[in-house]
Amino acid sequence: MSKCRTYLCKAVLKEHFGDLAEKICLYMINKGCCHLRQIASETELPLDKVRKVLTALIQQNVIKFEKTKRGVVEYFVDIDVLLWRHRIPKFIHCAKSLYGDAAELLVEDIVYHGQIMMSKAVDNVTSKLNEALENAGHQKIGSSIVHDKFSLLAGSHFIRQCINGMETSEEELDERDQSTLYRVPPLHSTGKRKRSIDDSEQPAKRQKTDAPGDDGIYWKINSRRFHQYFRDQMFIKAISNRIDKRASTILQTMLRLSEVKTDDLCFTTQPLSFTEIFQAIPLDAGITRNLCEQYLTLMVDDSTNLVSKIGESGGGMFVVNIMKGLTSLCKAHLESVVQERFGSKSLRIFKVLLLKEHLEQKQIEEMAMIPSKEAKELLYNMFAQKFVSVTEISKTADHAPARTFYFFRVHMDQLARNILENCYKALANAMVKREAETIEHQ
Amino acid sequence: MAANVKQEPVEDTDLETRVLLMCHQNPEGITDALIQEDMPHFDVKQRVTAINRLLSTGRIDLLKSSSGKLIYKLKDSSSQDAVKGSDQQEKVVYQIIKDAGNKGIWIRDIRFKCNLLLTQVNKILKNLESKKLIKAVKSVAASKKKVYMLYNLEPDRTVTGGAWYSDQDFESEFVEVLNQQCFKYLVQKAEAAKETKVDPIAQRNSSYASSHDVWKYISELGISKVQLSVEDIETILDTLIYDGKCERSIVVGAGDSDKSKKLYRAINPVIQSTGLMRMPCGSCPVFHNCYEGGAVSPTTCIYMKDWLQL
Ligand code: SF4
Repeated sequence: MSKCRTYLCKAVLKEHFGDLAEKICLYMINKGCCHLRQIASETELPLDKVRKVLTALIQQNVIKFEKTKRGVVEYFVDIDVLLWRHRIPKFIHCAKSLYGDAAELLVEDIVYHGQIMMSKAVDNVTSKLNEALENAGHQKIGSSIVHDKFSLLAGSHFIRQCINGMETSEEELDERDQSTLYRVPPLHSTGKRKRSIDDSEQPAKRQKTDAPGDDGIYWKINSRRFHQYFRDQMFIKAISNRIDKRASTILQTMLRLSEVKTDDLCFTTQPLSFTEIFQAIPLDAGITRNLCEQYLTLMVDDSTNLVSKIGESGGGMFVVNIMKGLTSLCKAHLESVVQERFGSKSLRIFKVLLLKEHLEQKQIEEMAMIPSKEAKELLYNMFAQKFVSVTEISKTADHAPARTFYFFRVHMDQLARNILENCYKALANAMVKREAETIEHQ
Repeated sequence: MAANVKQEPVEDTDLETRVLLMCHQNPEGITDALIQEDMPHFDVKQRVTAINRLLSTGRIDLLKSSSGKLIYKLKDSSSQDAVKGSDQQEKVVYQIIKDAGNKGIWIRDIRFKCNLLLTQVNKILKNLESKKLIKAVKSVAASKKKVYMLYNLEPDRTVTGGAWYSDQDFESEFVEVLNQQCFKYLVQKAEAAKETKVDPIAQRNSSYASSHDVWKYISELGISKVQLSVEDIETILDTLIYDGKCERSIVVGAGDSDKSKKLYRAINPVIQSTGLMRMPCGSCPVFHNCYEGGAVSPTTCIYMKDWLQL
């Protein structure tokens, strides 16, 4: 793993879980999978402390474990989940803006516990809300309202059930099992009734008749669903910037229609017919049939390639091109970095290279209309910071500079990866700085 | 005897006119052998006299052909006037320069063609220059290279680099001004389209401007001292594409002209500046040297301090 990523992990661990967890996890990150005793002896910490830390982090979904063939349990850090922790405020905000205060508190509660049973979370949130309501002199609410919100969150896949890592792994789930992950048990039911509707992954081992109706079903945040939501918001924002608000409303409708139907890592969404899209557009947006048609054409023509038309049936079939959209956005972000870091003349050179791929310096000067001396400087500046790269093609075997062509180009993937690294580091820097400031002003 | 004396010049002029006629018919030039073949009844001496007379009156030129033979060529009446009173060598050099047209010719090539010594050529060129018959133009292709052409010619684009060069310096400011003005025009056009048209597609279509429209606008502004062509403006508009500020679409055969038309329009960026660049680390010059406990570190960072206004 890269240095910057580890650096960020370190900062997140320290801020969220303290020094001890930081030490243990860093060791695990460097090692990969390891078993309990190994961790204890290598970090020179008492076994029970390590055990406690592991329990806490497993509860928070940061550490995963699996049983090897020899029957040893090995632990490893789920780095993605760890790094996603700094998005928690965004998750909570997102829940609030979509479903209101109760949903906000629910997400907060689930994040706080890592994994929690529905009945517990609903109870916690209900009492918290009631406390606030009482203080403000309002009437209390029943837990069923909170339960409704919970169902909403589950229904739109923002939260999901945990599966027991010792019995089934994520990969083994087929499509049908996937959908059962979001099934919400009823609020008040006996253990028996619960089991009759429960799925096969939560085998009824413990027969506790007095347990709450959802005993054994733990819920956690579905980060991927949140990411999908953020991604869609990015697209909507982009189209609203590029075309206008009404176009973005149509795109939003398309994305909403395919939201839970499409896997979050798909290249394109499910095809949607024109009629389907048009009927789903909120009425108050004031978009007529004709307008909707026109906006769809505009989006199909736009250089972001976000929307494509793939057929004529049903008034035209459309898909949202997730992959192409992300590529355009990524390009836009890279361009923004170049613009701020090197200035607009360099951006011009950069874009010339993006559009034409391989170019010699002379050609770049001509196309960008920048005098030779200046272009050279700008180009080599970007070259030094690895934003552009050079390919040498020599006419002769000795690679003499005079008989060699030097082609410049931009490697998008590589550059994007570099910039991501920079983002990790910048984020970690900000966290470290915040920490230092807090200590100083305590 | 008198008759005899009289007869000779008649014959000579006859020979002269016939040589001139031949030159007329063969603008590429004629060789001595060709004359001899055509008029076998004149002897060598007569030929030499006739040709010498023609040469001295400046009606034909003696040149060396590419195969190395000597050829006679009819002299242009125009160049005849221009270099009246100059000596033979000057005339030859003048002719060579004239042939080079508005692309000009390099001094080395002149020397090569006329077979004169460098010092001689230099002297002749100076002479011709002072008479304002030719001029030296600096080429943008190589900064040390001077090319010669007739005084009244407008140098070719390949020599001057087109409208973007003055004295072989690239006028980057001029280009930038044009770039901004073109963009302004397109933005105005897009805004006007937004206000006047309701339909989104009509809005987009009327925000397009053809390169010819932009050219007209720029010409009317009068910001350019030199006459710009539509192609020049297209080059500028292309830089706007590279700036990510506009996009181009091509329509084929609009109206009666079968040439394709290039249309441009201003576009909005999809994102505001990216998150990384909104904090100091994004554009930090010492980013790679910054780590906890190092000489530069986040805790001691002055950029952070300014940014957070601590
Ligand atoms: S913390 Fe300061 S010194 Fe370090 S990278 Fe960021 S801006 Fe630069």
